[in-house]
Amino acid sequence: MSAQELLASARALLDTFISEHNTPEEDRLDVWIAATNLPHAVRALHNAGWGYLSAVTGLDLGPEAGQMEALYHFCNGPAVLTLRVRLGRATPSVPTLCSIIPSAGFFERELSEMFGITVEGAPNTDHLYLPDDWPDGVYPLRKDFDPASLQISG
Amino acid sequence: MKQEPQKVITKKGERFIIPIGPQHPALKEPGHFEFAVDGETVTDATVRLGYVHRGIEKGVESRNWVQNLYMLERICGICSHTHAMTYCLGVEKLAAVEVPERAQVIRLIMAELERIHSHMLWLGVAAHEAGFDTLFMYTWRDRETVMDLLELLSGNRVNYSANLLGGVKFDISPEQADKIRQGLAFLAERNTHYLDVVMNDMLLLGRIRGVGVMTREQAEKLGAIGPTARASGVARDVRLDAPYGAYRTFKPKLILETAGDLEARFIVRLREIADSCRLINEALDNLPSGDLTVRMPRRIKEGETISRVEAPRGEAFYFIKSNGSDIPERIKVRTPTICNMGSVLALAKGHQLADMPMILVGIDPCFSCNDRMITLRRSDGEAETWSWGQLREYGIKAYQR
Amino acid sequence: MELGPVARVWHQGVPEMNPIVALLIFPGGLFVLTLGLAYEWVDRKLLARAQNRVGPRWFQPLADVFKLLAKEEVIPNDVNPLLFVGLPIAALAGALTAALYVPIFGLAPAYSFEGDLIVTVYLLSLLTLCMGLAGANTLNRFALVGATRTLTQLFSYEAPFMLALLAPAFVAQTWQISAINSYASTHWLIVTQPIGFLVALIGLMGKLELPPFDAPEAETEIVAGAMTEYSGRGLALFRLGKGVEMVVGLTLVAAFYLGGIGGPLDFLLKTGALLIAIVIIQALMTRLRIEQTVGLWWRWGALLVLVQLLLYILWEVVTA
Repeated sequence: MSAQELLASARALLDTFISEHNTPEEDRLDVWIAATNLPHAVRALHNAGWGYLSAVTGLDLGPEAGQMEALYHFCNGPAVLTLRVRLGRATPSVPTLCSIIPSAGFFERELSEMFGITVEGAPNTDHLYLPDDWPDGVYPLRKDFDPASLQISG
Repeated sequence: MKQEPQKVITKKGERFIIPIGPQHPALKEPGHFEFAVDGETVTDATVRLGYVHRGIEKGVESRNWVQNLYMLERICGICSHTHAMTYCLGVEKLAAVEVPERAQVIRLIMAELERIHSHMLWLGVAAHEAGFDTLFMYTWRDRETVMDLLELLSGNRVNYSANLLGGVKFDISPEQADKIRQGLAFLAERNTHYLDVVMNDMLLLGRIRGVGVMTREQAEKLGAIGPTARASGVARDVRLDAPYGAYRTFKPKLILETAGDLEARFIVRLREIADSCRLINEALDNLPSGDLTVRMPRRIKEGETISRVEAPRGEAFYFIKSNGSDIPERIKVRTPTICNMGSVLALAKGHQLADMPMILVGIDPCFSCNDRMITLRRSDGEAETWSWGQLREYGIKAYQR
Repeated sequence: MELGPVARVWHQGVPEMNPIVALLIFPGGLFVLTLGLAYEWVDRKLLARAQNRVGPRWFQPLADVFKLLAKEEVIPNDVNPLLFVGLPIAALAGALTAALYVPIFGLAPAYSFEGDLIVTVYLLSLLTLCMGLAGANTLNRFALVGATRTLTQLFSYEAPFMLALLAPAFVAQTWQISAINSYASTHWLIVTQPIGFLVALIGLMGKLELPPFDAPEAETEIVAGAMTEYSGRGLALFRLGKGVEMVVGLTLVAAFYLGGIGGPLDFLLKTGALLIAIVIIQALMTRLRIEQTVGLWWRWGALLVLVQLLLYILWEVVTA
């Protein structure tokens, strides 16, 4: 199947959840969905056997915009489908996907420690990459993080 | 300071945990695994990563597009070309720049040479984990052939720095091409021998046949990629699924095994070496003429793109976002190891402790790829943040000595 | 003291030695230790060459021992210090005592009596037992797993190895090593009892924890196994003990199966040939998992030796 056909089938699967969509490149489809719909949308893809969860990207749109995004990239052959969830910067939170895709746990742990996005219902919320003594509430991949603020003595 | 006595003698119901890492002879890079064992049988496994986290994803947000090429190439010492190529392909896509054909083919040749060297390195490490040191020594001796070829082309054994935004740095002369052909002929012959060893050595088979079996369903559920997935019969290869660069012209063979055990992972990787040899020869015979580079704009058009490349270990995934300036807004790097890590933890349960290093190595983990962060450097127990300038100064001083 | 015919001739040329000298310097004590280090070097060097490596220089094992002896011995918390210090000494003492009963360097054994074969075999096991206990004495998790594996392996190869050494004793109709040695100098038992020879040689490799039987110290799983917590003097003594055990074991197998040991040249040639065989086996094999080792010994090793013994008994009955 070509990328277009694959993406069309994905769109059909997700039809009820899509609030906005965009085709930035011919083999890609970006769809915006609400955070509460995320597990349902992923389950629909998973049940249909549509691709695999390739990566989860966090995006901080900056303190001025006051928004963040979590991007769930699903790859299927030539096609890449991205489920995008818009989040408020104050208390960002997404539901976990671990019950559907066990390996999503790693991505979610990275997302929460780097961006401070709470993953609700996650079975494991330990640090994955950052040290255990990393200060609470400091999220290094947020735009307002200043590496110089980490002057630790002793 | 008086320490609490170590409590390892377990009472009934408590778990006896064997730690592997962060420093352990089985691991060539730091990672921390804890295997709960009942006698010799593993009952649970957990992982802690991040020991080589260097903050590269944050670092790229304060460097320009060209500097980042060198930064990202240093994510991994084994698949450095892959990272640089994935980044270049993505940025070129954003800038809508078409790279000359000759440069694309040279990128392919470097990528396949890198695949050969990575798989041979893996074969040696896997043999060592199995306690078959003779095979380890021989494969690493023969691997020097491909390392020499890489050095011949690029002047470097590890970070080849072949890529530029908009092309490649060096050409392949006919003499160099001949040397590559000779080297590959030798490697292909040795590879046949190793395949014979892996498929027929009774004792080695005793350690790898039927061990760490991952069925096709499991592989799909756990999101395995690369040779690990292909050994379980999942047809996933970015070079074929979403061809990029010169892979549109030169097609690799899809190498599939169905057994899903360690033996299948050995066979898949060895057959891939053979196929890479074929692919490089084909590319050398049909090397298009033309320029090596095109001009790249300093600022990259605003936009987002996704770049996927089949690294030796599986799909490398880059998400690149530009805000129209000369500095990227965000680059997300997802390396193959993290996708396959889940399979290690899932497969560990029920196996013998002796199989653990083998299963762990079976996915060809690369912790440097996996972890990517931060600028904290400890000296004399004190942690401090170094600025780029300080680091540069330190580097210059260190070299002057 | 009974001597084999060749040994007797050679022995007559050697002047009577002071027993203290014989015990501490030559042919016992110091000489056996040196021989152990030399054999360790040959083993390491040949294995390295077989694996396409350069290998250590000739004095490396000795240098290792000196280095270890000079280093601080760290005694970890929560171990029984007496056992921690005493076990290496007991292990080396066991190996050195065993050397007194075998024809080292082609000389007649220093002590010899009817039944010394059994004593020697048990003295050899003492080293393994001490290593196992030393591992179990520490609280290190790698050492505990290593100790379990060491002892498991001991119980798997010990019986077949013992049977393989008993088969020549049956034929020679004596339990005395020197007597079997003189019997063997006229009968090459490797020809009549090839299975016993193989089991004895491979059993020796199990005893020495050489690949493919190195699961008890598999570095990619459990670092150094039972020896993980040992440093300095203790480690040096265990290593010396291993070297001595290698010499004693090779001497036993060569004396029983390769036509006896009649003189120094005989000794060097025959044990050297066995050492080369051991190196080749090491280079060709993948490490066995511990349960594979146990399975191999009980399913094949023990069974084959028993079959050979039965055949011998049948032969005796039929010819009688």
